[in-house]
Amino acid sequence: MMETALVFDWEGRTIHWHEPPGRSDGALPDSRDLWDVLWEHRSKKTGGTGRLGGVAHTHPWDGPTGASGTDLSTFRAVELGLGQRLWWPIVTFTHSHWFRRRANVSLAEMAAQPDQNFFVDFRRDPKRPNPFYALEDIEELRARSR
Amino acid sequence: MDELIVQPQLPANAAKLNVTWAGQNGDLPDPVPYDATDGDLKAMASEAITNGYIPGIGADANVNLGDFIVDRYAATDEIPYSRVFIRPKTPFGA
Repeated sequence: MMETALVFDWEGRTIHWHEPPGRSDGALPDSRDLWDVLWEHRSKKTGGTGRLGGVAHTHPWDGPTGASGTDLSTFRAVELGLGQRLWWPIVTFTHSHWFRRRANVSLAEMAAQPDQNFFVDFRRDPKRPNPFYALEDIEELRARSR
Repeated sequence: MDELIVQPQLPANAAKLNVTWAGQNGDLPDPVPYDATDGDLKAMASEAITNGYIPGIGADANVNLGDFIVDRYAATDEIPYSRVFIRPKTPFGA
């Protein structure tokens, strides 16, 4: 088993597969290459291609999962660096969880409160809308994690 | 006519510092010590962003680089000065 990630656009289509050296069944290491992809496809408002919808990664097991402390601090760091809100799906072999920063929490508020978690699993909260798209390659993402 | 390319002259053990914040990116006008600690480099960058001192990055009193990474690149034949980049970290962990 290997954790795997992909970068996807606003229609859930894969922009980039992320399978870096040093990945394991419990971690994906920091990667300058991944950051460069995210930066290239950031919002058009800040000079990017505007394609970036989010980053999905696997927790390679059956059953539900949650975001780890490392996951949450990466979600936060990337959004602060890009200045934009993304989708952060975490996919197991049987479930998918769609994390996203609460809409009423600004980047400034998140920056000012580093110990707070502002990311919510939208699939677990019936009061919140489900994502309007799915990952085109979700089964390939799972296959690459086995 | 050949284009004149002026390479920056930096003191020995100095580096150019590039920072990414809030969808913006820029170089600190002043060189930084290449061997400064990550914490010191992030403190310099934070202070510069707070004061609007980095061209290309608007002043932001809320800057927080706590979860950012410092990448260091030594001088090469092509780029004859050291560079330091501060950018968001990207690891994931189950």
